[in-house]
Amino acid sequence: MTGNAQPTLQGPLTGVTIVELGDGTAGPYAAKLFGDLGADVIKVEGPEGDSSRRRGPFPDGRPDPEASGLFMYLNVNKFGVMLDLDSAPGLADMHNLLARADIFITNYAGKRLAALGLDAKTLRARYPKLIVTTISPFGAEGPWADKLGDELIAFAMAGMAYSTPGMPDASDDLIKEPPLHPACFAADTIGGVVAAEATMAALLGSGKTGEGCHVELSQQAAMAAMQIRDVTSASYTGAQYQRLLNPVTIGRMPNFYLPCKDGYVTIAAPMENHWERLKEGMGNPAWAESDLYSTEKARTANWITLRQRIMEWTVTVSGDDMHALAEKSQLPIFPFYSIRKLADSDHSRERRTFAEVQIGGRAARMPAAPFQMRGTPWAMRRPAPHLGEHSATILKGGMAA
Amino acid sequence: MTEQATRPLPLEGIRVVDLGQFIAVPFCTLWLAWLGAEIIVIESRRRMTSRTAPPFAEGRDKEPDASGYFNQLYSSKKSVTVDMTTAEGRDIVRRIAGVCDVMVDNFSTGVLEKLGIGYEAIAAINPGIIMLSNGAFGRAGPMANSRGLHSAVNLFSGVADVTGYVDGHPRILGGVLPDPLSGTYSGFAIMAAIYHRQKTGQGQFIDVAMHEAMLSLIPEAVIDLTMNDVEPTRIGNRDRINAPHGIYQCREEDSWLAISVTDEAGWAALCEVIRHPEWRGDSRFATLEARRENIAELDKAIEQWSLGQNAHEAADFLQRAGVAAGPVLRLDELLDNDQLNARGGVVTIDHPVVGPRRQMALPWHMDSLGIEYRRAPLLGEHTREVLTGLLGVSESEFARLDAAGVLS
Repeated sequence: MTGNAQPTLQGPLTGVTIVELGDGTAGPYAAKLFGDLGADVIKVEGPEGDSSRRRGPFPDGRPDPEASGLFMYLNVNKFGVMLDLDSAPGLADMHNLLARADIFITNYAGKRLAALGLDAKTLRARYPKLIVTTISPFGAEGPWADKLGDELIAFAMAGMAYSTPGMPDASDDLIKEPPLHPACFAADTIGGVVAAEATMAALLGSGKTGEGCHVELSQQAAMAAMQIRDVTSASYTGAQYQRLLNPVTIGRMPNFYLPCKDGYVTIAAPMENHWERLKEGMGNPAWAESDLYSTEKARTANWITLRQRIMEWTVTVSGDDMHALAEKSQLPIFPFYSIRKLADSDHSRERRTFAEVQIGGRAARMPAAPFQMRGTPWAMRRPAPHLGEHSATILKGGMAA
Repeated sequence: MTEQATRPLPLEGIRVVDLGQFIAVPFCTLWLAWLGAEIIVIESRRRMTSRTAPPFAEGRDKEPDASGYFNQLYSSKKSVTVDMTTAEGRDIVRRIAGVCDVMVDNFSTGVLEKLGIGYEAIAAINPGIIMLSNGAFGRAGPMANSRGLHSAVNLFSGVADVTGYVDGHPRILGGVLPDPLSGTYSGFAIMAAIYHRQKTGQGQFIDVAMHEAMLSLIPEAVIDLTMNDVEPTRIGNRDRINAPHGIYQCREEDSWLAISVTDEAGWAALCEVIRHPEWRGDSRFATLEARRENIAELDKAIEQWSLGQNAHEAADFLQRAGVAAGPVLRLDELLDNDQLNARGGVVTIDHPVVGPRRQMALPWHMDSLGIEYRRAPLLGEHTREVLTGLLGVSESEFARLDAAGVLS
């Protein structure tokens, strides 16, 4: 644990105890956000371990349940207990943990929880002060409550896939291509973030009521809530969203995403003053003075050829030069950064955007804090637990150091 | 909603002065407002942003109380108009911040300091203040002064590096995700800081960089690169491990179906539904490794089936057989989606100028705590109430400030 860890500083949620019965990303990430801020998070895994232990990435791609990069990331700052919930002693241990917890977070399927007697209704009755946060693909009620869902399905059913690639990508290949999902756990992570905010609200609220709360979250609803801008358009104008982009949906031009000499770049210059500055940046080419592009209206009407003209310029300029020009002329132009370039940037180094970790004895970096609280800085207090690492101490009533 | 409103609101008694604009910060305070916080939005007739943004109610273009953009992002908040270009205006903002628990902004880096209402200045008069600043690249580091819209944040955050069609170029995610996502993290951070302050009395400054919020979506790619030196690849809708995992075209124009198979039972069920039971014994598809290897061929074969199907019906068939599947919904279809509506995920809020309008509600339920949905304020609706009530400004002083244009 090198770098920015400041283990002596207490996190803002010190003293809060959480029991997590999570799998994959959504539940474990919600609990991680609490652990990152100093709460004691006890992660309960079955004998087979969290499925993210089997997902990797592993050092050199060799599967090892104690060296999965995703698991290590999602479960730092937690204690680990292994329980066989299908056995009476395991279930009894689970109840002992719940009896001393402030918060229970789970994204296990509702049916499985009910079979174990760990459903929200039962737990709320048995532990009146406990906050019970349940996370499911579609929520606990409604026609889809018991349907099967995951990252891809929640993303698709929340409008995100349909709208990706997003503006200002005006490529002409979309007609042949499907709506797009990124190669990452976007809907699961966002479900986790929203669950953390919801749970935090319940924690503050329970300070008022003196009782617990069932926080019931739908990942589809969480992801759909992120679409506020476009849902507003539908609500106010009844407009149908169209993925095959055209000037009507794109708005004022130029607003493009284009190849440049060594990568890709977004260029937005929708207003007259932007356009003047962009022309200057392009070296005042003769074509830009043509009637086809002289007014905002004309530029939008002739966006296809405008895009072509601007692209003829962008492919001659590097991303870095483009960014320098943008900074100088206050234009919203920005180049694509690979993850490598971001990770190696001075900005990331100075902000400590990445944290150094050991995964199966190998050095790696992972995303550090998603926000920076200056008074109570983020810290990696402990690496992710081995399966059952803290079972003995914690089940005896302690909290391992 | 009425029943819920009789329960205690989680953030009742928390007062926030909101200097936000665009979407990130207003989205953050929207949820805080629904949870019961008092959100005092500082606006000015001299420099309106959200209220001048489309869409407007029909026939009410450019009317400051008719912008959907504003009315949906500012539900349950209060509007105070103050001209911050005047010294007296800035003093009023300072005095409001002096009696708030939280202050939020997403101006360009350094703007608040120039106005004399940065964190240091406010903390000097209100040491317990929790101040959150949200910016594209954050408030520290060599790029703190850079500007960027959501597309720039997508491109900088690394998310674009894993978004794209097979072997294609990096793409930008839909919507303006960096805004609401960083806004959600902001809400969590503010509440954690409130909890900490309740225990210790300590306030603090919170620096939210939108690109760092987005980076939290891609731990796998970050770790594979930094541990194994494996460059991210763009793989369309496929998954690194599971197959098939894709979005397939259906019968009606521009209609699509998402299918995700994560185990052998799901694979067997898919084969039955699409009437290819023989694929289970086909060496091209029989094992997960084989399916990954021959995924292009498999995707094509699945699409041959899906092209003859209605997306909603096909999702039903697959779900009944035990396969995770769902129709790809357009953004405008969300408002009418059965499942979202069945759990109260769409809320209708009435407004004297634009009438009842639907929007996405808070995406979670609470059984012992309330949520309160109220309409967005008219421009300057709460200026008098906040000044004469909260700040104790006398009626004559209020009249003088108003006449002097400080409250415009």
